[in-house]
Amino acid sequence: MRYLNLPLVEINKLLKEKKIKPIDLVNEAYENIEKHKEYNAYITLNKEDAIRQAKELENKEVDNLFFGIPIAVKDNIVTKGLRTTAASHILDNFIPPYDATVVEKIKERNMIIIGKTNMDEFAMGSSSRTSYFGPPKNPWNKNKISGGTSGGSATTIALRDVPIALGSDTGGSIRQPSAYTGIVGLKPTYGRVSRYGLIAYASSFDQIGAMTRNVYENALLLNTIVGHDDKDLTSSKKENEDFTRLIGESVKGKKIAIPKFFVSEIVSKDILDNIKQVVKILEENGVIVDYIDMKYVENTVTLYQIIAMAEASSNLARYDGIRYGYSYEKPNNIDDLYVKTRANGFGEEVKKRIMVGSYLLSGENAKTYYNKALSIRDDIRKEFKRVLNDYDWIMGPTTATTAYDLDDPMDDPSKSFLDDVLVMPANMTGLPGINVPIGFGKDNMPIGLHIMGDSFEEAKLYQIASFIEKELKLDLNPWKGEENE
Amino acid sequence: MKDKLSREELLHVAELARIELTEEEIEKYQIHIKKLLDDVEKIKDVEGYDEEQLIAPWSENTHLREDKIGEMYDPKEVINRAPKHSGNYIEVPVVVGESEGA
Repeated sequence: MRYLNLPLVEINKLLKEKKIKPIDLVNEAYENIEKHKEYNAYITLNKEDAIRQAKELENKEVDNLFFGIPIAVKDNIVTKGLRTTAASHILDNFIPPYDATVVEKIKERNMIIIGKTNMDEFAMGSSSRTSYFGPPKNPWNKNKISGGTSGGSATTIALRDVPIALGSDTGGSIRQPSAYTGIVGLKPTYGRVSRYGLIAYASSFDQIGAMTRNVYENALLLNTIVGHDDKDLTSSKKENEDFTRLIGESVKGKKIAIPKFFVSEIVSKDILDNIKQVVKILEENGVIVDYIDMKYVENTVTLYQIIAMAEASSNLARYDGIRYGYSYEKPNNIDDLYVKTRANGFGEEVKKRIMVGSYLLSGENAKTYYNKALSIRDDIRKEFKRVLNDYDWIMGPTTATTAYDLDDPMDDPSKSFLDDVLVMPANMTGLPGINVPIGFGKDNMPIGLHIMGDSFEEAKLYQIASFIEKELKLDLNPWKGEENE
Repeated sequence: MKDKLSREELLHVAELARIELTEEEIEKYQIHIKKLLDDVEKIKDVEGYDEEQLIAPWSENTHLREDKIGEMYDPKEVINRAPKHSGNYIEVPVVVGESEGA
C-alpha cells in the first residue's frame, strides 16, 4: 500500500488512528526515491537521521497536520549537521552548524527532512543544469529539463516521492520549475518568510516558498513557515494568518488584468491557447478579464540582470577558501588562495554572474547601471501597485514554452535570464506569485498559469488558483500507472 | 559594435571578481561576458523614470534587533569548518611578503 499519494489530511488521519507510523512514510519515501534515482532530484539524502527521527515520533502525540510527513528541502537552505552545498563544488563539504529559520519551523512541527534537493549552482540558472551534481530530469519526459532553479524540489514533488517541498525563488525559481513539472509553487511576498539560513544569491529578490501537489496543501505548508524573524531584518511583522481561509470562496465579480506583454508573440501558441481556455472559464464564472498595457514590464530582464548580478557579486565574495568550504591546497599567498579557490570552486554560470556584477558595481558604473536599475525598479513597483488598485490579480503564462530538451545548447549566456521573463516582475516588485498547472502542450509537457496578487495577499492567490484547479480537474500524476503495482 | 571583449578587458573584470581564468575560459568568456554587458546596456534606453530608488521591496520600516546577547554558537563548531585551523584560530596563508613565484 502506498500512503504518500494520499492527501495530507488523510495521511494525518491514518497516523492519528495509529493505522500507520511515521516510519512507514519514511520508508516509502526512500523506496520512491530509489526507484526514481535516475531523475537525480536529490544531492544529499538524510536517511539515517530521518529513520531515527521517525522512530522517535512513535512515542509522541500526532499534534499537527504535518506530524511525521516527509519533506524535501532545497539544498540552498541550511540544515544543521546535514550537508548543504547549494549545488556548488565550493560548498560540497559544508556541514552547517545551524538550521535556517524555516528548517527550525518545520522541525517544530515534526516534519521529517528526507533530503536536500538538486538545483542550479547557487540558484543561478533556469534549468538546474548548472548544478555541480548534474541536472534533475523531468518526470514527464526524462530528456527534458525540470526547470530551475528549484528543479530538484519540483522533480521530487511531480514524481510523488514526497508530498511537500521547500524551494527558493529569486527570479522565478519556484514558479518556473513548478510550471515545467505540473505542480503548484508559490513565491510569497518579500518579507513574508524569513531568509535566515537561505544561502544568499540576490538578497533583495530571494524568498523561500512551498512546492506541492495541489493548491490547498501549498497554503497549508505556507502556514507553517511564515512569520517575523529577528534574524532577518527584512522579515515582516505582519500577523500570521490561515492562508487556506479564502479557498472555496466565490470569485464572481473579481477582476483580473492580463498585461499584453505576457501574451505577446514571445509566448508559444500552445500556451496561449491554454491561457485562452482558462480566460473563457473565468469569464463564464463571472470574472472580469481585461488585457492591459503596462509600462516597464519588458525591461524586467535587464533590471534583473543588473540588480541580481550586482548583489550576487557582493554576496558571493564570502567564498574565500578561508572560513569554510573548498579551499585551494597550495596557495603562494592570500591573493593566490582567493583567485584559485574561486576558480576551482565555482562553476561557469556563477563565475560569469560574479564577474559582470563586479564590473557593474565598480567606480562610475554603479551610477550608470545599478542606481538607475533601482530607480526603474521603483517605477515598476508603482506600476504594479497602480494596476492592483483596480484589479484583484495580474495573470499570464508562467513560461513562454514548455520544458525544453536537457541537451539544448547552453551557448547563449542570456537564455537563463530570458526563460524567466514572465515571472521576474514578482521578484522585482516583491509581490507574491503562484504557478498553477492548467494543461499540457502538444508535446504532452505541463503548462502553468502565473498569478500575481497584492503584497501579503497570498490567501487571495490561493483562492483564485484553487478555483482554476477545481474547474480544470487535471490529472497531474505522471506515475498513475504505478499506483496499481 | 564589437562582439567580444579584449583579453585585457576580460582579465580586468576577472580580477575585480577575484577569479583566475584558464585560457579556454578566457576565450569563451570574452564572448559571453560581452553578450551580458550588451544586455545590461539596454538600461540606457529607458527614459522618463523617476529618480526615487527601490533598494529592496519591503513595505515596512526596517526594524533593528534589540541590542542584547542572544543565542551563540559554540566557537569550536564554527572554527572547525575552516579548511585550516588551530585551536580557536583560523589559519591563513601569508598576506605580505612572498608573492607568486617567489
